[in-house]
Amino acid sequence: MTYKISAPQAVDYGQFSPDAVTSQTKYGLPQEVKFCKSCVISNQRPNSAVEYKHTKESKKATIHFDDKGICDACKVARQKHQVIDWTEREAHLRELCDRHRSKDGSYDCIVPGSGGKDSFYAAHMLRYQYGMNPLTVTWAPHIYTDWGWKNFQAWIHAGFDNFLHTPNGRVHRLLTRLAVDQLFHPFQAFMFGQKSLAPKMALLHQIPLVFYGENEAEYGNPIADTDTAKRDWSYFTADDKSKVFLGGTSVEELLSDYGLSKADLEPYMPADPEQIERQNVEVHYLGYYLKWHPQSCYYYSVEHGGFQASPERTPGTYSKYNSIDDRIDDFHYHTTFIKFGIGRATYDAAQEIRSGDITRPEGEALVKRFDGEFPVRFAEEIFRYLSIPASEFPQASRHFEQPIMDRAYYDLLTDTFRSPHLWQYRDGQWELRHTVWQESATAGPSRETACAS
Amino acid sequence: MRPEVRLIPRLDIKAPNLVKGIHLEGLRVMGDPQEFATRYYEQGADELLYIDIVASLYGRNNLRDIVSRTARNVFIPITVGGGIRSVDDVTELLRAGADKVAINTAATKRPELIREVARRFGSQCMVLSIEAKQVAPGKWEVYTDNGREKTGLDVREWLQRGVELGAGEVLLTSVDQEGTRKGFDMALVREMAKLVDVPVIASGGMGTLEHLEEVIAGGADAVAMADVLHYNRLSLSDMRDRIQSKRELAVS
Repeated sequence: MTYKISAPQAVDYGQFSPDAVTSQTKYGLPQEVKFCKSCVISNQRPNSAVEYKHTKESKKATIHFDDKGICDACKVARQKHQVIDWTEREAHLRELCDRHRSKDGSYDCIVPGSGGKDSFYAAHMLRYQYGMNPLTVTWAPHIYTDWGWKNFQAWIHAGFDNFLHTPNGRVHRLLTRLAVDQLFHPFQAFMFGQKSLAPKMALLHQIPLVFYGENEAEYGNPIADTDTAKRDWSYFTADDKSKVFLGGTSVEELLSDYGLSKADLEPYMPADPEQIERQNVEVHYLGYYLKWHPQSCYYYSVEHGGFQASPERTPGTYSKYNSIDDRIDDFHYHTTFIKFGIGRATYDAAQEIRSGDITRPEGEALVKRFDGEFPVRFAEEIFRYLSIPASEFPQASRHFEQPIMDRAYYDLLTDTFRSPHLWQYRDGQWELRHTVWQESATAGPSRETACAS
Repeated sequence: MRPEVRLIPRLDIKAPNLVKGIHLEGLRVMGDPQEFATRYYEQGADELLYIDIVASLYGRNNLRDIVSRTARNVFIPITVGGGIRSVDDVTELLRAGADKVAINTAATKRPELIREVARRFGSQCMVLSIEAKQVAPGKWEVYTDNGREKTGLDVREWLQRGVELGAGEVLLTSVDQEGTRKGFDMALVREMAKLVDVPVIASGGMGTLEHLEEVIAGGADAVAMADVLHYNRLSLSDMRDRIQSKRELAVS
């Protein structure tokens, strides 16, 4: 019998042998692996994608390096620290707020977020510094961590109304499982809401001003994106909904074969661009106007709202204050490590190097120590979450050769998403062919990156 | 109030800078540690505490030079911690000018190190550094790597064991309160101070003079503080005055 979702099979190790010729790359990644000379990110880092178009065949656009080997994210950081006139930018923010500020105390802007340090800072600044009346909206994590829930509550109790949209657990689980099997992307179902809930709420409540926090260009999206305060519509709208894919699966297929209804999928659908235009919805990055520093947002949210770091280090990295509200988050970064060779410590260290909080040699040491660590702490719970038993999913489970996810299944699946140009299999162990610390060791001592902030 | 309570500025170091975090996280660069150390010495600190806050994280210890430079101008006891893994590491730091060492991560991995240091240099030199995180009412877990890693060790049991092995003093840091300026974890300080006879240095959370009074009354023999001094929220003379006035009140 042929299943829509076959159980993963063991890969052919031959293509991963240390001396194999590795001309094939997955996901359209660049064949030559390079590391930014300033931070620790590699040229395999994909830019933000329009998730509605994401299928198994999708090719990634990746971060741009200049001819001196510096990534665009580091250039954005340099602009932030050396070029941008922040006084002028702040004046623009005041003008924008003045234009939209309500006279009668009704909501005049929307701030999406989880109550993490960045959304706490954004909403709090807008309300208490700029006199706005923000409505906060939250697209719930897959499974809250205890501390994530407490921080979410602390946010609300710092003076905000909040709409919490919690998607149907079974639909969310199914879409997430599909995204894991087909795209190795456990965060995708969350991202649909993360990107489109706020603009859709803006339409619903007729509040045309939406503020996100940082621009994705701070992490490597095209540098030109920083020239505008506004977020590209393509992330949260779609003209033709028949071309929308969720979990790498067409809407049509989800409706016909997986037992989902139109209502089930409604929360995941993008906003209508015509409506966005008609109602003049503007989605801005607060980070365009205010010099964003994640660490300072942490301080700000602790001081103004009792934000708590997580009680332990996040697996795969060294920190405990950043992206800590969703139990599936650990797996998200594990999958990026497998697909792109970039784990959470690399992302965190690259950001902190750009902000001047750590040096490049420190970043290399952190990447070497923590990147790609398997996230044991919530694994069993996540595997249960990703399982599609017939008792709960009578129609959908029939399309999975093995509806129950366990560690053995996950490990086999993991291997199918390794690209031979990144990975080698030696002495029974998987190893990256290229790492930032090995490259630095062969290139001689790394220079200490000057503090930029 | 006891006048003999020691006031100890705590200098968390991430070479070459003095840094400060909240919950031992999100380290912010404050400046040159030596300048701060000299200022605190001149203002009447009883001792100084230097902790290489990322030593375990990066597998290094960079304090020798900083301690050595400080010891030339500062003539009060200096305790040094962070990344100390062996008797040789201790020897090197004592030669550089340290008077005591504070050991956390390496001691949890190899408790025998406490005995070795105490036997070689005396118990007065061996400070057991404990990063405690509350996990249930009246229950705390030992953390390492600057509050990042769980150990599964119960603070109460580990403290007793550490003292049995020869620790002559305890640096007790509350990860939950650290950097918050909301006051010490008083339940933790009270309980641990009762449990052992060696001096307890309370660390983490001081924001006001009332916090200082409270923690001394709770049994702390010494108080380590960082945020209130680094950001000039309080001065050591404010603290001395408060301790003195309370003492006079108690005597009269």
